[in-house]
Amino acid sequence: MAENEERLRRTMMFVPGNNPAMVKDAGIYGADSIMFDLEDAVSMAEKDAARDLVYEALQTQDYADAELVVRVNGQDTTYYDNDVKAMVKAGIDVIRLPKAETADMVTKLDADVAAAEKEFGRKAGSTHIMAAIESAKGVLNAPAIAAASDRMIGVALSAEDYTTDMKTHRYPDGAELEFARNMVLHAARAAGIAAFDTVFTNMDDTEGFYRETRYIHQLGFDGKSLVNPRQIPMVNEVYEPTEKEILNAKNVINAIEEARIKGSGVISMNGQMVDRPVVLRAQRVMRLAKASNLVDEEGNYLEK
Amino acid sequence: MENAIVDLYLNNPQVKQQWRDFLTSLDITNFNDNEVDKIDFTIGIYDGDHLVATGSAAGNVLKYIGVCNKGVTPGARFNAIVGELVNRLFQQHVFHQFVFTKLKYSESFQHIGFSELTHSDTAAFLENGSPDVNDYLADLPRVAEQASRRVAGIVMNANPFTLGHRYLVDQAAKENDVVYVFVVNTDASLFTTAERFDLVKAGVADLTNVIVVDGGEYMVSYATFPAYFLPTPDQTVRYQTTLDARIFRNVIAPALHIQTRYVGSEPVSRTTGIYNEVLQAELPPVVGVKVVDRNTTAHDDYITATAVRRLIRDDDLEQVQALVPASTYDFIVAHKTVLQARIQKGMNIDGN
Amino acid sequence: MEIKETAVAGTLESSDIQIMVSEGTNGIAIDLQSDVEKQFGDQIRSVITETLNKLGVTDAKVKAVDKGALDCVVKARTIAAAQRATDTTDQPAWEVL
Repeated sequence: MAENEERLRRTMMFVPGNNPAMVKDAGIYGADSIMFDLEDAVSMAEKDAARDLVYEALQTQDYADAELVVRVNGQDTTYYDNDVKAMVKAGIDVIRLPKAETADMVTKLDADVAAAEKEFGRKAGSTHIMAAIESAKGVLNAPAIAAASDRMIGVALSAEDYTTDMKTHRYPDGAELEFARNMVLHAARAAGIAAFDTVFTNMDDTEGFYRETRYIHQLGFDGKSLVNPRQIPMVNEVYEPTEKEILNAKNVINAIEEARIKGSGVISMNGQMVDRPVVLRAQRVMRLAKASNLVDEEGNYLEK
Repeated sequence: MENAIVDLYLNNPQVKQQWRDFLTSLDITNFNDNEVDKIDFTIGIYDGDHLVATGSAAGNVLKYIGVCNKGVTPGARFNAIVGELVNRLFQQHVFHQFVFTKLKYSESFQHIGFSELTHSDTAAFLENGSPDVNDYLADLPRVAEQASRRVAGIVMNANPFTLGHRYLVDQAAKENDVVYVFVVNTDASLFTTAERFDLVKAGVADLTNVIVVDGGEYMVSYATFPAYFLPTPDQTVRYQTTLDARIFRNVIAPALHIQTRYVGSEPVSRTTGIYNEVLQAELPPVVGVKVVDRNTTAHDDYITATAVRRLIRDDDLEQVQALVPASTYDFIVAHKTVLQARIQKGMNIDGN
Repeated sequence: MEIKETAVAGTLESSDIQIMVSEGTNGIAIDLQSDVEKQFGDQIRSVITETLNKLGVTDAKVKAVDKGALDCVVKARTIAAAQRATDTTDQPAWEVL
């Protein structure tokens, strides 16, 4: 598991890798993660040009604090090797492997990334990876995939290919994804990494988008993959903590602070010991609250 | 995704009907089978279920480009469609492209890298990519002090080279210091482009002031003048030939200092007849037009390449001998079976 | 690297630049069309020339149609076009990227 606990990953925005206008502007929408796509969004004839474009953009463009992800082409393509090498050389934060079906595929990516880090003089272990699960086999192997490498920061469900593999398609109620979502989510949690839900492509169905986002938020996903920047504030809205959650979290943080001042190794609140998961949740709520501008610098709730 | 470009498969009748309806609504109405059948691929953009932009390519010519700008930034869909057509042709290593369009769209094409070769009151003809007309002209052979010579030009398909062609070249060669014979480049005739070119060269080899050159894509090519190769309504022939004539007048003739264009009188072909009329209307006074009456056989029959082709079809080579120079005759005799096989396979011999 | 074939990279979409390179004999000859020719024409030309030189291309004809591309896009498209023209797209020019 990579060191990634400090990050919010509510929104991972897809950016077609061969589109300069979108590559250039990707940083202005406030996505937590930006995923430059060299795979499905790029036609075969443009794979080389997209790789060059994303590489050069990464050298010069300012994407502020966003986590930068590149979806490389699959290991069964001739583009994969050069994609991985170029993106490691470019200093990308995360390489996303599409169509992950086995832990071996992740192990291979890990080794390829390590070799590229060495070749191009990047710090060993500085490049993270993640896997997209897009098939029945991938879903069943999700726990092994999620735990296959220390570089792993997350797993994502990719529903278009998955539903095709399952001989169905997407429905508004998402029943066809229930098992896969839970598998991917459990695999992520067991491995201590992030879980990303699939994209929602019908831009006209705002209500459906909110419904799906609330649902995956309820399940416990870190966030969602997005195809349109208009969806970013919508996801953030769903992930906003309530006033009560923030006050609660603030109390936990205060308790931690108090324990630190007292030099006590045990954090207690209302006479109860505070467990590590509770601490982590409180820290996450405060990060969400800050990201949504619901608290000031000190963590005090701001009335809307 | 919004404004995604998709392939349109016109062999699906439903798609074809939708495509036709959309273009018709934009006042593009020529769906002549001859034109539509030449299309290699077609792309489009949908907004929901509605087709809102389309374009096609036939060889290196962009065709049937139609765009609806309702509710979107003007030009965005046009650029997307034309850009995609151009890119796909590039991917097929077609690096030089043409478009024949309404005059009002010329500027839009120029905005995305096309250069206008010429225009009439209604239509424009543009090219894109490389090699372009400047490269073509730079490669043509020239003689010393060409600017002060009497220079003439003849454009011929020569399918095949006959004594009629020879007579026309003779007249021009007698009256000028230099004669350029441009051989039509489009390979759509019974005799291939290479065969036609070689037969013209052989047929005028004894004339020292005649330069035989490839007509490129700028003279009576499938790009400039498709009607030359396809049955087409008179009005369309006029549009096309006007542009063809203007390219010759404005681009080709000045670069080579051509003062006179020679044409054979046209008693038979309606299309070529219109072409001659348009040349006479468009070229002077910049370039003179000299119409040379066709020579005839001993029996007063006009010598035409069409007659030669029919005789080949009918396996009557004896009669061919009277219509063509020895070089052409020898070639026909040596390649009779190949030529007849092409006719058998459906090569039209009654056009040009 | 010697340019033998013609090749193109880039599109005519906004913020992009379409670059066509072909065989040349007389240095890097650039024919640039751009709406911002006055302000940025020299800059675009110098990025193209510099990138080609780094790739070891000293003679080439270049036709470029600019739609407001940033320098990084000009560079990326030049690399892609030159690698296509030299049939080396599967061996990225790591030292130039």
